[in-house]
Amino acid sequence: MREFASERRQAGLQYGRETLAVGQRILIELIRRQRSLIAWAIFPISILLLNGFIMAQAPSQTLGQAFQQVAPSTLVGVALFFSCMGGPIATVIAEREHQTFRRLFMSPLSGLAYFSGIFVAYGAIGIGQGLLVYLVATCFGAALPTALGLGIAILLLSIAAYVGVGFTVAAHLGRSTDDVGALVSAFGVPLLMLGGAFFPTKLLPDQLLQLAKFNPIYHMTKAMVAVAANGQSFEQVKNHVLFLSGFALLALSVGWWSYCHMLRAERSLWR
Amino acid sequence: MLNLRHISKSYDRTPVIQDLTLEIAKGEIYGLLGPNGAGKTTAINIICHLLNPDSGYVLVDGQLSTKAIKPLIGIVPQENLLYKSLTCVENLQFFATLYGLWGSQREQRIDHCLQAVGLSDRAKSPAETLSGGMLRRLNMAIALVHHPKLLILDEPTTGLDIEARYDLWDLIRQLQQQGMTILLTTHLLEEADRLCDRIGILKQGCLLAEGTVAQLRQLIPAQEVVLIQTSESERAIARGQAHGLINRRYGSDIGFWLTETRSLADLLTLFEGIPLDSISRRAIGLEDIYLEITHGQTSPPTQPQRSPVALSLSALERANHSLS
Repeated sequence: MREFASERRQAGLQYGRETLAVGQRILIELIRRQRSLIAWAIFPISILLLNGFIMAQAPSQTLGQAFQQVAPSTLVGVALFFSCMGGPIATVIAEREHQTFRRLFMSPLSGLAYFSGIFVAYGAIGIGQGLLVYLVATCFGAALPTALGLGIAILLLSIAAYVGVGFTVAAHLGRSTDDVGALVSAFGVPLLMLGGAFFPTKLLPDQLLQLAKFNPIYHMTKAMVAVAANGQSFEQVKNHVLFLSGFALLALSVGWWSYCHMLRAERSLWR
Repeated sequence: MLNLRHISKSYDRTPVIQDLTLEIAKGEIYGLLGPNGAGKTTAINIICHLLNPDSGYVLVDGQLSTKAIKPLIGIVPQENLLYKSLTCVENLQFFATLYGLWGSQREQRIDHCLQAVGLSDRAKSPAETLSGGMLRRLNMAIALVHHPKLLILDEPTTGLDIEARYDLWDLIRQLQQQGMTILLTTHLLEEADRLCDRIGILKQGCLLAEGTVAQLRQLIPAQEVVLIQTSESERAIARGQAHGLINRRYGSDIGFWLTETRSLADLLTLFEGIPLDSISRRAIGLEDIYLEITHGQTSPPTQPQRSPVALSLSALERANHSLS
């Protein structure tokens, strides 16, 4: 019994090390290449500045209030979308193109640890983007969110949802690195517009607003703005958080299934 | 150390491996030769548990091939499957962690492997800045980092210059001296001849013959082969046949097998009256054996035997049948 517990502990430890190794490897590659990291910093900051200054034009709105309103939607809508969805797509496609998948699966690496490692890497990028967005927003007078725990929970759920969708898209549609930009733009930009990432959803006509309620990005931005900008409690954003949790779970499940399906397809090529 | 028992594998009903059975002893270097598409890489993928066979099984160090045997095996694939923006050390750290190495043990293994492949001075260099030969050596270091019992080298020296090739051969010999079992696939017959204790020849997924080079040489009933170039090849062949010599084509050359060593004067007399552009002779080598077996011209022995040299009559027939 004790031996069994010890084996379980060893397996858990090894799983953790593999997860961290995959995450660390992806982060080192991103730091070496620099371009993606720079783009993932510039894009949300430029959207934050544009939206912040536009929102500040509204009557009875200070610059600080404007930045406080746009920072949450910029973070979960704009920043995480491109890094946490586009990033896993690029990672999976690159592994496929360079055949490093083959090398990985010659090793004892567990598929779950690989999946988790990607989540860890892009989770770290997402948290970094959160710090950057709020650093800039506070420079223009925005106040930091008070309900930090709930805000971080929404942030992590959003990252999980994006990573899951990223895996699904990469597994089924991604064939070469040229596909990354096209896939992210084709799926992303309409969803971002409809989700309130670029402008408040109150500007949407009724029919589009009804449609937006099926869009997970809508629930991410609604929940995050309510918690981080307006200081609302969990009870007040419960529906959005529940929708988002359900979607994140679904996205991760479908992502995992797609990943396993892709591996079977890849193996058939290893002749 | 490695046992393959009656392995068969098909893709879309096309057989790629047919009833493959082979055994490699601990500390042995076994060379698997065969033309492109013979099933060498598929066999490796089955051994590494990347593919499942349709029938048969694999034993590595007495254990059935499952995920659990992966730490026992180190693989050097044909391509340099590396993370190009990572340094040599970072690549090794990553793969060592996947194999369960950690802390000072991991760092010691990395230092040892870098030293073994001669990359210690490039430890901090990103892989993308290394030459082709260095990338190949890093590929080798990754396969060795967890100190496997069985090392599989899939065409390890393809594309390397002669010096890098000699260095890699030295390393392979050192690994054998350390007790490592090595399975090597190659197109370079010289490589197989120099390195391998035993050789298996695979064609159309069938193991046609296996044994030491000396044992395989017994498949050809000749001591030497005389090669001639002539504009009157039909006459030369007829002359050879009249003297009981078996002839073979070697590109534009015609080869005649000699059952015993003859002097050059004798040979010139033999072909007297036929205009010869060149004539040379050499001992029967692995090239002759390989060509003979893969082109299916050898008459199988009346009683196929597995030892000392195994020539599978049914395998030969199957391979020739699938070619026709």
